[in-house]
Amino acid sequence: MVVIAFDNVTKDYKTGFRKKKTALKDFSLDIREGEVFGFLGPNGAGKSTAIKILLNLIFPTAGKAEILGRDVGEKEIRRSVGYLPENPYFYDYLNPTELLHFAGKTSGMDSFTIKEKTEILLNTVGLWNERKRAIRSYSKGMVQRVGLALALIHDPKIVILDEPMTGLDPIGRRQVIDLILKLKSEGKTVFFSSHILEDIERVCDRIGILVNGVLRRVIDFKNEQLIKSLEDTFIEEVDKTGGLQQ
Amino acid sequence: MQRSLAIAIFVISFAIIASIFAIPRVSLERDKLHQKEGIGLVMPSQVAQIIALEFKGLFADAVFSRAMTYYGGKLIRGEKTTEEEWDWIYRNMDTATDLDPYFLDPYYFGATNLAWGTNKVKEANLLLEKAFKYRDWDWTIPFYLGFNYFYFLQDNEKAAFYLMESAKRGTSSSLIPILAARLAYQGKRTENAIIFLQEIIRKTDDEAIKKAYETRLNALKGILFLERAAAVYQERFKKQPGNLDDLTAKNVIREIPKDPYGGKFYIDKDGSIKTTSELR
Amino acid sequence: MTAVWSVALITFKEGIKNRVIFGIFIIALLLFAATTVVITLFMRDIVKVAVDLSLSTVSFAGLLTLLFIGVNLFGKDLDKRTIYMVISRPISRSEYLVGKFLGIVILALTVVVFLGLISAVPVILSKRFYYYPEARFDWTIYFIAVIYIFIKLAVVSAVITLFASFTSNSFIALVLSLVVYFIGQSTESVRLLLTSQVERIEVSPVLSYMVDIAYYIFPNISAFDLKTQAAHGLSISPSYILWTMLYAVFYIVIALSIGALAFRRREFP
Repeated sequence: MVVIAFDNVTKDYKTGFRKKKTALKDFSLDIREGEVFGFLGPNGAGKSTAIKILLNLIFPTAGKAEILGRDVGEKEIRRSVGYLPENPYFYDYLNPTELLHFAGKTSGMDSFTIKEKTEILLNTVGLWNERKRAIRSYSKGMVQRVGLALALIHDPKIVILDEPMTGLDPIGRRQVIDLILKLKSEGKTVFFSSHILEDIERVCDRIGILVNGVLRRVIDFKNEQLIKSLEDTFIEEVDKTGGLQQ
Repeated sequence: MQRSLAIAIFVISFAIIASIFAIPRVSLERDKLHQKEGIGLVMPSQVAQIIALEFKGLFADAVFSRAMTYYGGKLIRGEKTTEEEWDWIYRNMDTATDLDPYFLDPYYFGATNLAWGTNKVKEANLLLEKAFKYRDWDWTIPFYLGFNYFYFLQDNEKAAFYLMESAKRGTSSSLIPILAARLAYQGKRTENAIIFLQEIIRKTDDEAIKKAYETRLNALKGILFLERAAAVYQERFKKQPGNLDDLTAKNVIREIPKDPYGGKFYIDKDGSIKTTSELR
Repeated sequence: MTAVWSVALITFKEGIKNRVIFGIFIIALLLFAATTVVITLFMRDIVKVAVDLSLSTVSFAGLLTLLFIGVNLFGKDLDKRTIYMVISRPISRSEYLVGKFLGIVILALTVVVFLGLISAVPVILSKRFYYYPEARFDWTIYFIAVIYIFIKLAVVSAVITLFASFTSNSFIALVLSLVVYFIGQSTESVRLLLTSQVERIEVSPVLSYMVDIAYYIFPNISAFDLKTQAAHGLSISPSYILWTMLYAVFYIVIALSIGALAFRRREFP
């Protein structure tokens, strides 16, 4: 069953008087239930753009996107979606307990369940002892972990992570990988972007390579055995487009 | 480490001590500067009202206070207030009461100082008339107005009108309506003035102003005394006394009262008692 | 409804924990203390001066709160991208906007209630100091004036929300809101000034017309200023209260609606 569908999505940005930049061009992709899909591409390829369209943060210039069969514009659909933005920012003066309470409430959870899950989640990400401290005092890695908790508190069917490994040390990255695998074992769908190839290789069922707004290739690891290494494959795809668009 | 800390402490201590010496001297120099500056500009009332935004009441307080402090400074230094300065003070009171037309202090100051200090009765009355319109519960306003019309402008009709207004607004003094009635008659000016002054002295807290009123009261009492004596003389001898010495000569009175203003009482051609000091 | 309330709650919490609020409270308390000294400079209308200062302090503190913290609460979302964690929940753009507005309003309410109560202290002291017989003062009117300070802040909050909905930069929102506040305080006075001057000098009809338009478009914030009434115990008619409250409500609804419309097509790249 298709849980996420991009249907010929194009996104243009105005960059000057008559100039525009195309962040995504005719982007089509289906993501199936229960799979872990890795989104790969150089910086500025359009990965974040595609993800933000799913979250209704930006609107496609053409085409449409659907989650669980409904248009991404419908707010209800986000009950089933957990999102971790790249470079997450949270309200400085609040602590993770308050933030998680907010997240839970808006996703329709009751206070009791929120309390339970907050304890479990904060323990999982290792922030239980800091739960009363304001985000102001957190390190980048800690902020990232708060973000993960916020994405998961409401037990969403679909988890979307935008560059989740940023700012994490190797231990942190390992934890994220284990988390993704755990989510997969629970039958959740995980859609994440990264440019750390070895992480992608470890957890993904399929990957998509995005260069200059165009989906160059989708690789299904079950069906396809790569001749070259993933790194070489990736660089090959980039070269095919004539190098990176500066 | 130690050395730079010691140097820092030394520099800071020096600066603090030097400042302590400098501050009072700066204060002194600023005072001298302000004295030379004299008065500044008065902000036009309409401009003030717009600039003040929602803080009109506060602005009124500030404008009034500034003028008051200036005037107070002059009093303390024993300087005479010039015509120009009085004008400045009046215009400040006007602006203050345009900003807050219910504010009593400028009206009170106007009533007690403007009229007496400099003969700016017209301006005092302009202010008080504004107060009369807005402070419609306040009986003291028409009372001051009545007094001004009676005493300075010799307009008994207007005085009576305002006194009646004062009575209407509910005053604690029962004499006001009586006085209003008396003023309807042209005569007995000095007696009425005495009653009026006694009432006003009762309402005055300011010691300096009280003294001024009392001096006036004593002068008027002297005049009334002489007026009555002249009337007795007229009755006895069927003619007016030529001058005041006639009264003592003919044993109507024992001695001529002294004018607290330092002048000399005399009887005028029309028979009214006046004084060389003109009560000033 | 829960969405709006949840957003309001974290907005309020983020605002109240801001260090700046603490500074604002300190300033207000210092001003209250200064009031007790300043009143000794005056002659008779002591209570009026105390009321002027007390209420002006509450109003000033409220405005500082809105301009420095209120605008910043939007600014964080728009400049620093904290909005992602909110908009990615199942809430609509409109729910977000109204929720933020509500959070700021509750913050303003807290400031007004807290400082409004404390502001009574210098007034009580001034009454003890000197209360001349013809003075008038009424606590009911005083606290109505305090409530109206809150209403004014609510209207300004709506204006801030409106500007935040379509500016990209919190500084611009701040400046625009300030300008609207200044104009809103003056339209009534300027209009009165023009009509009174019509007899004396030539007033261009275009100018009159523009002033009239400004009077209708910009919120007449001076209608919520009841400090003079509180200072002199002047009564406020029920019809005044009714119409000004309705005006406030309508203005807020219009501002928020326009903001919500503008915000629906807002993107967060």
